[in-house]
Amino acid sequence: MSILALEEADVFYGKAQALQRASIAVGQGEIVSLIGRNGAGKSTTLKAAIGLAPLRAGRRVLGGQDVTGLKPSQLARRGIAFVPEDRRIFANLSVHENLVLAQVMDRRGPWTMDRVWRLFPVLKDRGAQPGNTLSGGEQQMLAIARGLLTNPAVLLLDEPTEGLAPLVVEQLTEAMRTINAEGMAILLVEQNLRVPMKLAHRQYVIDHGAMLWSGTTADLLADRARVEALISI
Amino acid sequence: MSILIIGLSLSFLLFLLAAGLTLIFGMLGVINFAHGALYMLGAYICYQVVTMTGSFWIGLLVAPLVVALLGALMEMTALRRVYDRDHIYQLLLTFGFILVIDELTKVIWGLDYKQVPTPALFAQPVELFGSMIPSYRLFVIGFGAAVSLALFLLLDRSKWGIVIRAASADADMAQALGIDVSRVRTAVFALGAGLAAIGGAVTAPLVPIELGMGFSIIIDCFIVVIIGGLGNIRGAILASLLIGMARAAGYTYATEWVELITFALLIGTLMFRPAGLFSVKGRTA
Repeated sequence: MSILALEEADVFYGKAQALQRASIAVGQGEIVSLIGRNGAGKSTTLKAAIGLAPLRAGRRVLGGQDVTGLKPSQLARRGIAFVPEDRRIFANLSVHENLVLAQVMDRRGPWTMDRVWRLFPVLKDRGAQPGNTLSGGEQQMLAIARGLLTNPAVLLLDEPTEGLAPLVVEQLTEAMRTINAEGMAILLVEQNLRVPMKLAHRQYVIDHGAMLWSGTTADLLADRARVEALISI
Repeated sequence: MSILIIGLSLSFLLFLLAAGLTLIFGMLGVINFAHGALYMLGAYICYQVVTMTGSFWIGLLVAPLVVALLGALMEMTALRRVYDRDHIYQLLLTFGFILVIDELTKVIWGLDYKQVPTPALFAQPVELFGSMIPSYRLFVIGFGAAVSLALFLLLDRSKWGIVIRAASADADMAQALGIDVSRVRTAVFALGAGLAAIGGAVTAPLVPIELGMGFSIIIDCFIVVIIGGLGNIRGAILASLLIGMARAAGYTYATEWVELITFALLIGTLMFRPAGLFSVKGRTA
């Protein structure tokens, strides 16, 4: 059974349709990737999942329960964590305060301040600095750690490796593997196959707001040419 | 000496009001015209409680609580519906609040001046560095400093402060972390209203309580908020000191020039540092 699913979801921005009957599901302990080119509807899918983009039609299901009508804060409290593409670190909060904020709703679980510090030691060393003074890679670590501290059932990651140096990408990939090894389900959005091929169990390809392809990573290897064509610019 | 005392007490009073205004603006994006009316209401409720119980201290406690509750009600029933609209709707709405509060005040308390006697504890003047100082003024300074300090601790050191700062900076992301931002907005408006009422209640023994009292002080508060930088509470405290001291000095040495000095400071700020004298990039609360 899936932890989180969107079923036949329609999302509109004004009159423009951003998602068209899009269905995607993330299972227990799974890393699922969602791949597509710029503007294909990847971020919209995540925003639809956390409730920041309202569904005009379709359903959102979390842990077997229909949660279509809930607000983002309620969805977060029920276990969806959103790590947005632009990281959205609070510039007027210190690194440590950014993390404390995630603990305010008090969802207890395996992820504690100590555990995220062990995963990303830099967050402890720079705890007193304003959140926006970190480097891009460190801000990404902070955004992921902030998501983890809500002890979610599923972690939504929007292009976590975009624009980062290869060494940092390597470090974040390893971190995602560690997080998943602890049982965390992850929905990972990426523009290319680089990280998904290393991490994901299953993959979806989106374009023009519609899911065009889905399958396991082995399926994708067999069908690689077609998928590459769908996501190339 | 008395300039210093009057200036400081005026500064803290201005800060209590300006802090509420700037907090509300930072969180809700609304310029609350009715802030002066809430200040006045604080004074009237304090008067009412003093009349009923004979104790100023109960009045000082009750007035902010009642007005904070009223503020929460105003936010939940009316303000919340206009956040997504143009600023003009918010201005009209908070202006409407003034009319309603003024009329209600007239109905309840009538048109004549009310007086709250100075609490007995601070009725006697004290000698300080060779001059006689009304001791209630000293209380206003100490009390204002204590409330200001508590406010800074709340915003800077507490979980609540982190939530308020986060929700002011990026409401969507705060919601995605489980923060119910609409409740934070209600709480911040209630806090601002309560601060205004503390200002009104603490001023009650110093001035005649009347319908126009909110109007005269709110202009100075807007000036403080603009000089300090909209939404910038650190700036507000420095700007309060600047305006409070300037006005106190003005009353003593150049009474006719007080308003001119105040507005000159405002215009100077707008000309040279339009984002506020004490604006810091990225800092909103």
